[in-house]
Amino acid sequence: METRTVPAVLESLALISEFITGATTNAGLDDHAAWQVQLAVDEAATNIIQHGYDPLTPGMIELGWRIESGQLVVTLRDYGRRFNPEHVPPPDISSPLEERQAGGLGLFLMSRLMDGVRFDFDDEHGNLLTMTKRIAGASEWAYVIELSGRLDAVHTQEAVGRVNHAVAEGARNILLDLSEVTFMSSSGLRALLLVRKDLLARGGELRLCNLQPHVYEVFSLTGFTQVFAIHPSREDALQAFGHR
Amino acid sequence: MEITHKRLNRVDLLSVGGRLDAMSAPQFKAKIDELFDQGRYRVVLDLAGLEYVASPGLRVLIEARKRARDWKITDLEGGDVRIANLPPRIKEVFDLTGFTSLFEIYSDTTEAVGSF
Repeated sequence: METRTVPAVLESLALISEFITGATTNAGLDDHAAWQVQLAVDEAATNIIQHGYDPLTPGMIELGWRIESGQLVVTLRDYGRRFNPEHVPPPDISSPLEERQAGGLGLFLMSRLMDGVRFDFDDEHGNLLTMTKRIAGASEWAYVIELSGRLDAVHTQEAVGRVNHAVAEGARNILLDLSEVTFMSSSGLRALLLVRKDLLARGGELRLCNLQPHVYEVFSLTGFTQVFAIHPSREDALQAFGHR
Repeated sequence: MEITHKRLNRVDLLSVGGRLDAMSAPQFKAKIDELFDQGRYRVVLDLAGLEYVASPGLRVLIEARKRARDWKITDLEGGDVRIANLPPRIKEVFDLTGFTSLFEIYSDTTEAVGSF
């Protein structure tokens, strides 16, 4: 991961842009995608500079980027006021001029320009913004999530949580490796169906691999072997992404 | 950001080039306020040379158009901020944010100036 720390002042925007150029060049993004990342990061940094810190005592912004699972991941950390995106209503972009509010556009643009935007906060580590951009031509990339134990009503929720976390970070292709799953209930099946539906709606895919014989039996008894893409091995599944 | 100003008979033409971001937005706003303070509320913004726009620049645009339109000679005639020449990247931001329908946008400055 590449990192850089800059003071949270407007004069740093040019340095931030330079740092992000390094990221988009390394990721091999085309001009258009690179501009989208630049604008999203510019908006994020401007928000921190203008609203996060007290202007009289500006703090620092810690920037980072890495390439992971076919996407560029950009992070911005600050130790200013806690930012809660739910407190910023999205602009009504269809309202007429007289009623049009000028605020909230930065956050709105970030969500439109990037594939994933996530805000985390804790007292010790401050605000952490994680934004992801898929790298074109990397559609075969997939997140592999290993599940284990009993996939019943309770434990499936935890599994779904991990999938949702990956989706929030921009993952669209997800492979669930079930080699360590020993039991599958009907509520587990139902939860996986919902995950599959959600991914399809986002243009992604869900695949399963390494099912133990009695887990596979649950799928075949209920007819779900026709619904889910089930593969004998991880390699086999990973090759199948992007070749629907 | 570079701004050049041309005073025409009834209209003021501002050509804005370079980057319109948080850093340059205050300078842009000051230039527009200067016109308004002189009672010049008919403004055409030529954005042909604009390479980059971020939300602080959009904010100045929206507030400027609101102020200009508050100035009226008659019910039919008054102030406005109109736009000429929208480069593709800037148009993309306008489309994303719904600005395309918030402004009168013309394909060249002659047409924009003549619209007043």
